[in-house]
Amino acid sequence: MSDTLLEVENLRTVFHTDKETIHAVDGVSFDVQRGETVGLVGESGSGKSVTARSVLGLVEEPGVIEEGSIEFCGDELVGGNWDEHRGDIAIVFQDPMNSLNPVYTVGNQIKEALRIHQGLRGQAATDAAIELLEDVGIPDAARRVSEYPHQFSGGMRQRAVIAIALACDPDLLVCDEPTTALDVTIQAQILELLDELQREEDLGVLFITHDMGVIEETTDRVNVMYAGEFVESAPVEELFDDPKHPYTKGLLASIPGRTAGGDRLPTIEGEVPTSTSEPTECRFAPRCPHAFDACDEVHPERIAVGDPDADHETACLLYDDEFEESPPEDGVVADGGETA
Amino acid sequence: MSVNGSRVADAFTDGRTALWALVGLFLFLLEAGAVLNFVVSLTIDGLLAIPGVDAVGFLTAVENAVREIPTLLSRETIPNQGYFDGSGYEGTFLGLSPAMAWAFRATLVYLYAFAAFGWGVWGYRIYRREYRAADWTPRDDVFDRFRGHKWGIFGLVIVFMFVTMAVFAPALGPTTVDQNMRNSYGHEIDYWDSDSGSVETILVGDANLDSLSQGNDQNVEPWTYDDYGRFHPFGTMQDGSDLFTFLVVGSRISLVIGVLSVALSASIAATLALTSAYYKGRVDLSMVLVSDAVMAMPQLLLLIMLTTVLRESWINEVYSGGFLLALIFAFTGWTYMWRSIRGPALQISEREWIDAARSFGQRPTTIMRKHMLPYVTGYLLIYGSMTLGGAIISIAGLSYLGLGVAPPTPEWGRAVNLGQDYVRTGSWHISLIPGILITLVVTGFNALGDGIRDAIDPQSDSAGGETAGAGGGA
Ligand code: SF4
Repeated sequence: MSDTLLEVENLRTVFHTDKETIHAVDGVSFDVQRGETVGLVGESGSGKSVTARSVLGLVEEPGVIEEGSIEFCGDELVGGNWDEHRGDIAIVFQDPMNSLNPVYTVGNQIKEALRIHQGLRGQAATDAAIELLEDVGIPDAARRVSEYPHQFSGGMRQRAVIAIALACDPDLLVCDEPTTALDVTIQAQILELLDELQREEDLGVLFITHDMGVIEETTDRVNVMYAGEFVESAPVEELFDDPKHPYTKGLLASIPGRTAGGDRLPTIEGEVPTSTSEPTECRFAPRCPHAFDACDEVHPERIAVGDPDADHETACLLYDDEFEESPPEDGVVADGGETA
Repeated sequence: MSVNGSRVADAFTDGRTALWALVGLFLFLLEAGAVLNFVVSLTIDGLLAIPGVDAVGFLTAVENAVREIPTLLSRETIPNQGYFDGSGYEGTFLGLSPAMAWAFRATLVYLYAFAAFGWGVWGYRIYRREYRAADWTPRDDVFDRFRGHKWGIFGLVIVFMFVTMAVFAPALGPTTVDQNMRNSYGHEIDYWDSDSGSVETILVGDANLDSLSQGNDQNVEPWTYDDYGRFHPFGTMQDGSDLFTFLVVGSRISLVIGVLSVALSASIAATLALTSAYYKGRVDLSMVLVSDAVMAMPQLLLLIMLTTVLRESWINEVYSGGFLLALIFAFTGWTYMWRSIRGPALQISEREWIDAARSFGQRPTTIMRKHMLPYVTGYLLIYGSMTLGGAIISIAGLSYLGLGVAPPTPEWGRAVNLGQDYVRTGSWHISLIPGILITLVVTGFNALGDGIRDAIDPQSDSAGGETAGAGGGA
């Protein structure tokens, strides 16, 4: 059995609205190995959640996967074959209050998944649900299994959501900003729990966040997403040590504690554009501190950069020999914030 | 499962719950005969109408058996139809005057209904305190808000009175439809003839002919006795039959048709709204088209057309044509409800627990039923309650036009129609009283709907539901 769980090739997910066609995900490729955590990082609106939903087959009308392939354990999923792998890919959403149905007890919702995936009913299902709640670190699980979501704290709720995901006995866990809605201390606990579970169950994890700090702690490989495209992909150490794309540099610079001196954190001005057409330019150009003439006319392709062994790619014309401007000195970062 | 089992066992060792169950049993036994009677006669009405089913013998046996069961609130236990024999009343309850005996029975009926309601509330309280795992659920807030909603409470009271009237129709009237209207020449009554000073006997039909309400010279007004010692709380109708009996029995048919049509259209609306919210896109669009097409049909014209076309068919026999009416109302009425709950359904379909359930492979129908339906039932209640008022007024309107519920089955609208020639005379009550009742009941249902809406969704001051989710996006 191959160790590649998920292989996404040139995925394009578009939304056909009355006015325009939005290219939410525009040709991304990545894979997730068993036991590996792959990060997807980007601002809101960059298309990372749509990527996650595409992988799970949850894209709804008017959205549609227009092109590309998503292979899970060698089976092509695009074209409606998710049903055979339901439960093999589980998802943990951002807001645990929203991903638990408030009218049913937590136990009821875990049992729903248990019944579908493990055929458990009645007392056996209750026992299994209690066990799952214990696994995700909920104290007094036997009592809490019959409580409602509103009786749980935020962190406990997210643990319960993870328990539901585990009830499906998945191979791949997609975490869509699983800690964003939580307090910092709780965040750390949940990340630790996910890490532990991943090692125990040898799960593949697709971890989606806008938080570079979380990415550094949890992932093995990072894809930086901007306006539907991957602008840079690299192993996590390589990316943090030697970021190439100006956008990545901007993201890294905005992590508290990473920039020496100065009393204000640099920020990247502006926001992610909505891509409505085939790109003919670099989509980051309006916000890029290093943009030059060619950036408005040529759409950058992904090219290998950095350490040749590290499988490090970026899509920026600065690294393309055909164009004149040379890459900025390392360590010099975009700092639009200070002039604002 | 074992948890539930032990709870039931606990219930009987716990004093309060046992008491509650006992009181419930007692209340039921008081009226067991009437309840069974109602169920049986409804089944008979249904079965008789279906062609090819021949169960008359068996059914009448059942009916007679059921009739033998004694009930507290029946005409037999508390009779009001007696006569004056010169010194006192014969045949009435405790020798009271017919008016008093009738008033006593009617009061008792309402007290009983009130007790039954209170018993239900009491049971819910016990459940909430002792058996529910959570000490607070969002539903509690809904109840609390409703309790403080005066207009909603007013609606609830009216609806409660109306439903009680419909449920206890046979016990409430001073006389019965069969004796007083349908078969008035098959029954006789005794009365005190003051001229001869003796008790005489007369056919009900003949007595009715002398109690007509047809204007100033011939009139039996509300709250009076006629010449034959019969008490008429609302006076008599233009043909001399008792208006109160007519209205009470008419309330039952209004309620049955109303509830049936609203239940049908609510289930159509809910199914379609959930389907279109779940699948969105083209499915949703096609349903919009279908509902628009149905909406474009003129309801009244369709009603008149279908009742005429189907006049001869068996379906028009069921419940004096009421069943057919209910079907037509349901078919034309679901669109409005569908429109109103599609918004909330779309909103719910955006919630992440729906995606979570889809991601682990729950079936679409189960997702709709389990994860979406609970959130639109509130809206179904609101719009159901308001549509019910509308249905009642439509039925009355049709009967007023001479369509709809076939005579001689009493219907409020027909009473308005029958009395309209005498509105400006002393017999004003024939039209006015049912008219007021219709207005009151419809207002009551609307008020109840308002109350439920404000209780469920305190933010929506006006009719909301426009906040439909706009689909995907990152
Ligand atoms: S291609 Fe040009 S605009 Fe785009 S990131 Fe590179 S330098 Fe900036």
